Amino acid sequence: MFDFKFLKKSTSTEQKGEKDKEYAFLSAVLSIIVGLLVAVLLLFVLEFAAAESDFSKPLLGIQKYFTYTFTSSTTFTKIFYNAAPLMLTGLAVGFAFKAGLFNIGATGQYTFGAFFAIVAAILWQAPWWAALLLSIVAGALWGVIPGLFKAFFNINEVITSIMLNWAGLYLANLLFYNLPQMHTVLPNRSDSLRSVNPKAILPDFGLNQIFNTSYINIGIIIAILVAILIYIVLEKTVFGYEIKACGSNRNASLYAGIKTKSTIIYTMLISGGLAGLAGGVVYLAGTVEFTVQSNLLAMGFNGIPVALLAYSNPLSIIATSIFIGFLESSGSGLQGLYSYEMTSVILSVIIYFSAFALIVGHFIKKTLKRKRDKESILEEENLIVDQNDNEIKQSEDEQLDEKGVVK
Amino acid sequence: MDIFSILVSKTIVYAIPLLLGALAGMFSERSGIINIALEGIMVFGSLFGALFLTRGIMDSALAASHPQFVVFLAILVAGLSGGIYSLLLGFAAIKLKANQVISGTALNIFAPAFAILLAYSVISLGVSSIRLPRGIVMSPEIFGLEIANIPRWLYTMVFSSLYLTTPISIIILIISFITLYKTKFGLRLRACGEHPQAADSVGINVTRMRYTGVFISGILAGIGGLAFAMANGSNHEPDVLGYGFLALAVMIFGNWKPFKILFGALFFSLFKTIAVFAATLSFLPSFGLNKVDNLYKTLPYIITLIVLAFTSKKSRAPKAEGIPYDPGQR
Repeated sequence: MFDFKFLKKSTSTEQKGEKDKEYAFLSAVLSIIVGLLVAVLLLFVLEFAAAESDFSKPLLGIQKYFTYTFTSSTTFTKIFYNAAPLMLTGLAVGFAFKAGLFNIGATGQYTFGAFFAIVAAILWQAPWWAALLLSIVAGALWGVIPGLFKAFFNINEVITSIMLNWAGLYLANLLFYNLPQMHTVLPNRSDSLRSVNPKAILPDFGLNQIFNTSYINIGIIIAILVAILIYIVLEKTVFGYEIKACGSNRNASLYAGIKTKSTIIYTMLISGGLAGLAGGVVYLAGTVEFTVQSNLLAMGFNGIPVALLAYSNPLSIIATSIFIGFLESSGSGLQGLYSYEMTSVILSVIIYFSAFALIVGHFIKKTLKRKRDKESILEEENLIVDQNDNEIKQSEDEQLDEKGVVK
Repeated sequence: MDIFSILVSKTIVYAIPLLLGALAGMFSERSGIINIALEGIMVFGSLFGALFLTRGIMDSALAASHPQFVVFLAILVAGLSGGIYSLLLGFAAIKLKANQVISGTALNIFAPAFAILLAYSVISLGVSSIRLPRGIVMSPEIFGLEIANIPRWLYTMVFSSLYLTTPISIIILIISFITLYKTKFGLRLRACGEHPQAADSVGINVTRMRYTGVFISGILAGIGGLAFAMANGSNHEPDVLGYGFLALAVMIFGNWKPFKILFGALFFSLFKTIAVFAATLSFLPSFGLNKVDNLYKTLPYIITLIVLAFTSKKSRAPKAEGIPYDPGQR
């Protein structure tokens, strides 16, 4: 009897870990549903504010939003085209989160990576893989600066990376203006890779021609492989362990003999490299050219929600980035009805709710657990009652037997 | 002399939103809540303030007779809308003990998107810029002065491009200094940011203090947003171009102290103004580069970084910022 009970207990604790993951997933789904509902609600409220209210418009908008991506191969492949850089910037932000650092400078690193990928492709006529490597190096070099400032001067990485975002933007613009070979056609736009150096465009294995789009390339495959690599680094290596230890308690890990300064520097180096790679993947796709910017590029900031929604888990980042890629591709479906920004509204509501969805999840877990405890107590009581009954029965039987024997 | 006057006035104009934003961040962080949502709150304040100026009562008789009073009302609207919006952060961070950076980021993403959606549906599709009315500059007439009696340099420095937000933000600066260091409330607020458990043990309501801190922060950031909108020109896109994040940097630069924040905002703004006018300032070398103004545009950021590296030893953030208050840890 006792052995059996013990076994039952141990299996329930093993299941607990899986249940935690289940709740995280559940709360993510919950916040996504709430995000979509709030967005729909907002559409109706805005319709009230509009000069001419037409309540069929939001309904049409919702319908368009969810069917748009499946209308053509271009809109469908755009999901993955959007997802690749989102995944990489999400990994950049999430990887830094693991070490307790908030890399808000992903957009600067992304810009730098993009710029040097284009420089390699146009000025040095490099093949695509070499240009991608250079984009990693450029992003890493720009990303390591906040790490150095954090490690040696203990300056908050948020402020340094905000400063470096703008400094990087203007520096890239300055370099661009002073490399006239890069923009022979238009003064503000780099020459098209298709005409200048076609072998710098990411390979698509002829799939673009088959499906009649220009948005298929190996970027998404590279991004997924990198995500798996980051997962292995974080979960299966000593370095990953040190990063996570550093993130949960820097002083304790220093006390335990981890070199926290170099961990911070390496983390920011890798994080910057990932963001730089995202820039390379976008600008080597052959669909956009590098243009002089007056404001920070949004893509670097979009990595933040990806990482937050995935709780910085590299494998979950694959899923969330594809989901957000879908939302972004759908956003274009609203053109003419609403603005493209609807996607950002949905995204922000999802993130807002995901911030405390985990707490709601824990609350549900607690109440369920209380219920289960009550039930188990009841069960135990029943068991004891059963036992007593059995014992009584047995003793009665024995007595009967004895009596029988006696008889 | 003329260019000098312009530099001074532009420096002040750009410093005001930074000052207000940084003071906003200070109030929130001193109470223990990291307010990374400054950018979003500023966008919200600028949106409603600017909408009030154009759509509200700008065409009414009141606007014709007392334009500065209307601007004052717009400042109130901007502050109030920023304050209300910031309560979303307070609710998530204080009541639900959520991660403050995450909920702040959510507010940052929501605000500009909502601003554009609202501008689309209120104004018209495809046009998201809000046209600010003329006549909101502080003109000499409201002080009873005549233009002819004022020296030209003083006119360019003060009366051509300064708005009502400028004197108001100076007053706000002084009031915030007094509130933070000379009143019971300020002491309690700072205690909540340093050691909320100790504050609670002597009977201070940490939850209420933190809500107040975040609400004040929202009001100031909202006004800062409107200040940015008015400084940025007559056609206002509902966006503050990263000024919320810069304000965060100025706050850290100013070491969470009001007058150091003023210095930081002016310092940063001066270099930004020089960068903007780099093309017209003939004494700046061009180093033989094309479009050298881009080099000067990097200067404010790089100089701030260098200064930070040298002054980092003295930097002291509120100890309990970013940590949800847990009475069980007392």
